[in-house]
Amino acid sequence: MNEFVTACPRNCYSTCSFRVQVENNQIIRILPYSGNLATPDGPCIKGLSYIERTHSKDRLIHPLIRSSSGNFSIIGINEALDIITNKLRRIREDYGPKSILWYRGSGMSGLTNDIGSSFWKSFGGATTTYGNLCWPAGLEAVRLTMGTVKHNVPWDLENAKTILIWGKNPAETNIQEIRFIANARVKGCKIMVIDPIRTATADKADILYCPVPGTDGALALAIARILIENNLVDHEFIKNHVKGFENFRDSLRITVSEAEQITGIPAEEITSLAMLIGNGKPMTILPGYGLQRHQNGGQTIRSILALSILTGNIGKPGAGFNYANLQSYIYDDLKEPLSYFPDPDKDLPFRRSVSMARLGSDMLKTRDPELKAIWIERGNPVLQSPDTNNVLKAFSMIDFKVVVEQFMTDTAALSDIILPAKDVFEQSDIIGSYWSPYVQLKPKVIQAPGEVIPETEIYYHIAEKLNLNISNELIPKPGNDNIEKWLENRIKGYSDLTLQTLKQAPVLAPGLQEIAYEDFVFDTPSGKIELCSETAKLKWGISELPGYTSINHGENRNKYPLIFLTPNTGNRIHSQFGNLEIIKETTPEPCARISVEEANRRGITEGQRTRIFNECGELKCRVSISARIPAGVVVLPNGIWFSEGGGVNRLIAGQETDIGYGAAFHDNSVEIEVSD
Amino acid sequence: MRNGFIFKHDRCVGCNACRAACSLENRGTVHLRNIFTYNIGSENFSPVINLSMACNHCESAICMKGCPASVFSRDKATGAIILNEKKCIGCKYCQWNCPYDAPKFDILKKTIAKCNLCYTGLKEGRKPACSTACPTGALSFGELNVSESKTAFRWFPDKQLVPALQFIANGNDVPLKIIPLNKGKQVVKQNRNDKNIKGELSLVIFSFLTTLSVALVLSSFIKGIYPEKYTFLVMLATAGTCSLFHLGKKLRSWRALTNLKTSPLSREIAAFILYSALSTSALFLQLPSLLISSALTGLLLLLLLDSVYIYADKSRSVVLHSGQTFLSALTIASFLSGSILPFAFTFIIKLGLTAYRHIFIKPDFSESSVRFLRIALLVVPGLSLLLLNSNPGISIIFIFLTGEFIDRILFYYDFNPLNINSLIKEHLKRERDEKEKY
Repeated sequence: MNEFVTACPRNCYSTCSFRVQVENNQIIRILPYSGNLATPDGPCIKGLSYIERTHSKDRLIHPLIRSSSGNFSIIGINEALDIITNKLRRIREDYGPKSILWYRGSGMSGLTNDIGSSFWKSFGGATTTYGNLCWPAGLEAVRLTMGTVKHNVPWDLENAKTILIWGKNPAETNIQEIRFIANARVKGCKIMVIDPIRTATADKADILYCPVPGTDGALALAIARILIENNLVDHEFIKNHVKGFENFRDSLRITVSEAEQITGIPAEEITSLAMLIGNGKPMTILPGYGLQRHQNGGQTIRSILALSILTGNIGKPGAGFNYANLQSYIYDDLKEPLSYFPDPDKDLPFRRSVSMARLGSDMLKTRDPELKAIWIERGNPVLQSPDTNNVLKAFSMIDFKVVVEQFMTDTAALSDIILPAKDVFEQSDIIGSYWSPYVQLKPKVIQAPGEVIPETEIYYHIAEKLNLNISNELIPKPGNDNIEKWLENRIKGYSDLTLQTLKQAPVLAPGLQEIAYEDFVFDTPSGKIELCSETAKLKWGISELPGYTSINHGENRNKYPLIFLTPNTGNRIHSQFGNLEIIKETTPEPCARISVEEANRRGITEGQRTRIFNECGELKCRVSISARIPAGVVVLPNGIWFSEGGGVNRLIAGQETDIGYGAAFHDNSVEIEVSD
Repeated sequence: MRNGFIFKHDRCVGCNACRAACSLENRGTVHLRNIFTYNIGSENFSPVINLSMACNHCESAICMKGCPASVFSRDKATGAIILNEKKCIGCKYCQWNCPYDAPKFDILKKTIAKCNLCYTGLKEGRKPACSTACPTGALSFGELNVSESKTAFRWFPDKQLVPALQFIANGNDVPLKIIPLNKGKQVVKQNRNDKNIKGELSLVIFSFLTTLSVALVLSSFIKGIYPEKYTFLVMLATAGTCSLFHLGKKLRSWRALTNLKTSPLSREIAAFILYSALSTSALFLQLPSLLISSALTGLLLLLLLDSVYIYADKSRSVVLHSGQTFLSALTIASFLSGSILPFAFTFIIKLGLTAYRHIFIKPDFSESSVRFLRIALLVVPGLSLLLLNSNPGISIIFIFLTGEFIDRILFYYDFNPLNINSLIKEHLKRERDEKEKY
């Protein structure tokens, strides 16, 4: 039995370090690694479920090809690679390389992900996506304001006197943060949660505020006005480090009673909250990502960030605006969100013309050349992209679909060829995190089963068959030793960190500021924190200042009076993990949740099958009635597979956020009725 | 100093990592750890509480004491209560006795499974899988400081058992303030009895037939007429077979006699065997001395039978119940033998206990109609005997015995061995109702 230290490479804040015990090429036990101060208690239930996931009987371990009858049959890996090579060659010949859409999701992180770029560049390019389904509105908001996107280390949270958890549910989506919140509370910290839903996180707080979804910006700006009127701002801090305070102050129009009308939160409670914020130093705000999946997401984040700035809660222990901490991504030449923005010159030979948020309609609109093929890795776009109807339509027009996937997901089920994907423990890689400050090596510890080969080897073989003559420095030869040599080379020159050091243990990011901005250096055009940002206006066409615009739900608002929220839950990472037995055992049947009031109004009883619908589409599922859901809202988590009765994106239009090219998932409204 | 589980409910969010880790470690077919969540739906006045619990490896382990088949033992090195699956007969008595819902019945294997504190790992220096897996530090394992503590859960039953479990109440338990307050109040369904009578039918028949058989022996002793021997034999055989059917592992049933030292169930089974031997011989050999001994042994058997339930009945749900076998046998015997005075006495006690229970429990409509029927089936034959003062006819006897059978069914329905889930729910409901008054 051998034991290794490794890291979970999912799209998740925590990016937990853990120890894995291996015997006879089987993962037998997963244990915490206490040396990682952000995740000393180890991974969540999903991390534990790797024991099942890696060896799951449902895991695809042989290539599958779809026949004309529609059924999949197993073929050998060489045959599969030959078929793909011939198809790609043919399509490139007939239509040009840009007729292929190369789609990458965020299913697994690691430096080796980028090896594919070398393949496609050498191939002659391809069409790719821009934007991101998750968080770019907020990232851009923070970048415009602060320059770099970072925050204090997770364990610093225990030093806060006030924690404001705004639109985030760490109890389910960042569970390793709970320990620090709980410790802070023991020390007397006041915890406030702002969320339309009473989440598991809210149950650990002192006060819960439930504003109407999408109105958080109005709440923040009303609070900002109260802080300024009551002189609860840090004038010293503003004078030294902030640009645009006077403009911001003068722009604040929303009164506290207007905010009450917009958000549903009583005026005197808004005032109390402002007092708590103004007097509660040091204060840390934990803003979530659901918070900015709205048309006004970027402006919302700027408005809330303004509260930390006005009160001087930046650059000190226990204080901060913890949207994301990108300090561990030391190997990214182009950091997020800049990496999401299309740049016609720099992007060549790629044609970055398909917005993630509008995948379906953009695919359908693509011309010169039209799209003839699609290559999907690390993602499940058929289920997870907005506007499912258009996505399905676009997919049906594609002649050749290749998906690299671990399980028969809804996307894989529509493909022409499936290549079995590697799992966490089958290839070495180096990963960072957007919350934890560690750079980590995720080593190979078991042999991949069946005919599974990692993407890097898939590309290597196809490149060889196509005679692309790509240097081994760009695409390493097969074998993990070669991957590790490639990693060694990749990280050279960025810092003193070597692969050897990473093999010993996770390492705090070189150059890490444990207290972010403690040197009060801001990488903005003015060198100060920019409450007023010209780039915001020039690049995105929004106001230079934070502001609030109400959500436009379209003309059919009367027909569809309920706001449709599709949050993430603790048992999945988007559409991953939900198919595992150990996860299914702890999750009840997925169902939509509505309030008692809305249920009574429609004569809906607990557990009934219902139909949720709007102008985009419809979905049938069971309903659960809960007093934890406010009136005017329907909640159904995203990530539930079609086969489980899910598919929330049927009801969600392909809309981008105001900045960042993100997806405004939570801006749709629906109606619900009893079905048979 | 004892080692045990330490639970900080302030940071348990009910994520189920502990439960999953246990299942992955034990690769069994049942989950050995429970996650309870309270106050989840509705009321704004009480904080949501999550409780993760498996087995508390009590100092005074009642599962071990009460087990008739000597299945449980304590591992000296770790103090864990471990069980030998190969010895388990699947009688589920430990499930009745344990107030923490620790023993789990494996439907496939038909035996009990229980958390064993990962004791083999402990010996290698590895802590239990559940506590190791908890990602928030809510559940940990270590040296207990039991002077700390139960302030978090005032209702937690433990005085006699001394569980190896410590709660740490961190910070305040001030309920969450919600703005704006959600107007919709969720109706929480009240499941008074989650139990399924079908599972206990074999025990109902076993105990009723045993009661009837002892009543026949008593009645024949009073009247001087021996009951029909083959009917009697069939009655006892049916009773014995029924009790066998209750077990998961019938072929191991002999093991039920191995713990006469501490298990009321073991003693009851021994008494049943002795009584059956004596009473059958008494009838076939027609010896008065045997008849007397079997009557006495029969009464002893019924006292032991009742004690099996009283032992498990921590919440005192059936300590005074008209369906108890000892009382029932005396009632039936006096009815069948036409002994007016003794019958009047038992009649009044039975009626009193039934009425008291009916008023005390306030059952719902379908339930109360069954109870009403039972009273009718007692009163009509009883009054006809007391007032008419003649030997009851066959139809009256039949009506009377039906009433007694229903009484025994009601006994099982009312029997509520201490169950941690319902205990917590009841306590918290009481707390909520109090707070709502203000």
